Amino acid sequence: MTGDPLDALRLPIVPIDPRPEFAAALLRRLEAREEPALGRGATVRYFVDDLDAAVSFYCEQLGFEEELRPSPVFAMLYRGELRLLLSVPSEPHALPDGTLPEPGGWNRISLQVSDLDAAVRALRERGARFRNEIASGVAVRQVLLEDPAGNPIELFEPSAGYHERS
Amino acid sequence: MSTVSVRYIVNDVDEAMAFYCRHLGFEEQMHPDPAFAMLTRGDLRLVLVSPVPADHRGGGSRPMPDGAKQEPGGWNRFMLEVSDLDATVDTLREAGIRFRNDIVTGVGSKQIMAEDPSGNPIELFEPIRAEARLEAS
Repeated sequence: MTGDPLDALRLPIVPIDPRPEFAAALLRRLEAREEPALGRGATVRYFVDDLDAAVSFYCEQLGFEEELRPSPVFAMLYRGELRLLLSVPSEPHALPDGTLPEPGGWNRISLQVSDLDAAVRALRERGARFRNEIASGVAVRQVLLEDPAGNPIELFEPSAGYHERS
Repeated sequence: MSTVSVRYIVNDVDEAMAFYCRHLGFEEQMHPDPAFAMLTRGDLRLVLVSPVPADHRGGGSRPMPDGAKQEPGGWNRFMLEVSDLDATVDTLREAGIRFRNDIVTGVGSKQIMAEDPSGNPIELFEPIRAEARLEAS
């Protein structure tokens, strides 16, 4: 009697021992999903003086997508897990003493690129401004790009020795 | 894996690490140099660096070619979603954390700006509309 000709292609079913530690880790991961605001992306707010110019820059030059623009002073963009809020300084953001936020400073988002030289060349050709030249650090090469309002965006390319915890 | 990376300039990396880990739920991932630390919180990777000289091995906080030094402060910031902003602010104030303002109710959320020990802003927000919640996306 001939068997199923496809049997030759099937892998044998190997009995496996239950692994309590795997089940415990899976349960931990599932339960961790209940934590609010963890593991669901991250949000950054940048102040810009010209919302249209900023939205165009982030969407056309850096691959962001516009999600919401409900008013002339606010837009919500996405790029992967990053949610970027662009706000034009206005009364709701004023401090109690009336001080308004402004663009600029040095704190920044860092965007990973696979070929930093090519990315910088392409951005320069399209008129983008940079604060410095490409600098090589311990594990990455990096450069500081500026948006039209003068906010810094770090572009980096991992080099040998780059470590990322998975 | 943390997929969003933010770099903050701080005056003292050890002091900043203690602040972010103790009060805001970050975890230390690495601290290989006195001027550099990498922390994570959910999908956010926060790189803390203190200003270094131009010849320092770390490249992220060197001065600019024109000599301009990187420094803490400014207004751009990362935001942390909390489920009860009033309670969070009470707890942080009791721990001595400084805030730039009081709780403001905006269109999509209630929010406030805390400061780290170097004066960098951190926005804490509690969504009051579905669109403001991260999981809505």
